[in-house]
Amino acid sequence: MIILDQSTRSQISDLSEACGRYWELRGIAQEHRDEMQLELEHHLLQAAMDAKSPETVVGPNPTAFAEAWAKEMHPHALRAGALLLPGLIYALSGISTTAIVELLLAHTSSFSLTLFTAFMLGGWGVMALLLPLAGFLAVRMRTRSKRSMLLAAVFILGALVARLSGMRVNWNMTLLSWSWPLTLGLAVLTVGLACLECWRRASHERTFSDRLGKLWRSVLTLTGDVVLFDLLVGMSSVVVFNACALAGCFK
Amino acid sequence: MEVRLTQLLRGTLDMCLLATIAQQPCYGYEMVQRLAQQGLTLVSEGSIYPLLSRLQQRGYLEGYLIPSTDGPPRKYYRLLPKGAEQLAQWQAEWNNFAQAVSQILKGAHADDNPRSVHPQPDLRPQ
Repeated sequence: MIILDQSTRSQISDLSEACGRYWELRGIAQEHRDEMQLELEHHLLQAAMDAKSPETVVGPNPTAFAEAWAKEMHPHALRAGALLLPGLIYALSGISTTAIVELLLAHTSSFSLTLFTAFMLGGWGVMALLLPLAGFLAVRMRTRSKRSMLLAAVFILGALVARLSGMRVNWNMTLLSWSWPLTLGLAVLTVGLACLECWRRASHERTFSDRLGKLWRSVLTLTGDVVLFDLLVGMSSVVVFNACALAGCFK
Repeated sequence: MEVRLTQLLRGTLDMCLLATIAQQPCYGYEMVQRLAQQGLTLVSEGSIYPLLSRLQQRGYLEGYLIPSTDGPPRKYYRLLPKGAEQLAQWQAEWNNFAQAVSQILKGAHADDNPRSVHPQPDLRPQ
């Protein structure tokens, strides 16, 4: 038996997290998903302590392994659809925050949702949803930094190919335009949906006190996550916007 | 050779798992180790989990968590009465099947029915 280093532990944790996210997307109930993830992580840890690679546990194709297990657990498309609710909350909060900030800073009466803003919001949403799946690469790439570098390389290569093939996009194109009342309406809708999501998360608990505790934790977690998401979208939008402006993408 | 063994194991793994659990309740990694001790090495150890889930869904097994001293709680499996019945049935089927295959491999059927004996081609060089 060997003592595991930090890199092996993070490799195992990323792989089991990727499987967990995959099962979530396939619509497996949370209580089953948690148990499956726990069981897998435990097996991977024990195998690593016996000097076996993760590949001996999940095989050469971890996605196929995750799918084979998911098929036996009666996945439900409707349950996977529940993921849309937090996605909608993040998107609406991003749009309404951007609109409020722009209306306050620019002192304008209306807000225009440009293709660039929509792209940034959509990009962040897809990344948040699918990034944990990069853990499937842990079988081939041991360290997290290598996997991040591969993903960044794929993204940059894609952008370069699009640029070299002469693809031109008008990032300033206005998709939608609206004024203050609708912005406030969107903010209220975001808060309403966030309350619904917190209630949904807490409704699985059996006793009233457990439900109350879970509800409180959900409110705090979701608020923190949404604020962090808005900050990240805002900062990255400014960085990407300036980088694109310097590269002449907005001509 | 290895591919053939893998295919043979794939068809019988659920029965082997039930038989292993019937001896004593155990968790996933322990099952793999017990199978390996008996000479059955799995190409992908995790392939037991979809099968365990299937056996559990059919009511043959029951899973339960037990706190572990060296990490997160472990999920153990124990055999249920329905699983014991199924195992007995599978064992009977397997015994019949293995017996038939053994007899074919030994060429025992050739003596039972003389009409089935075909003339052997003469392979001696002319």
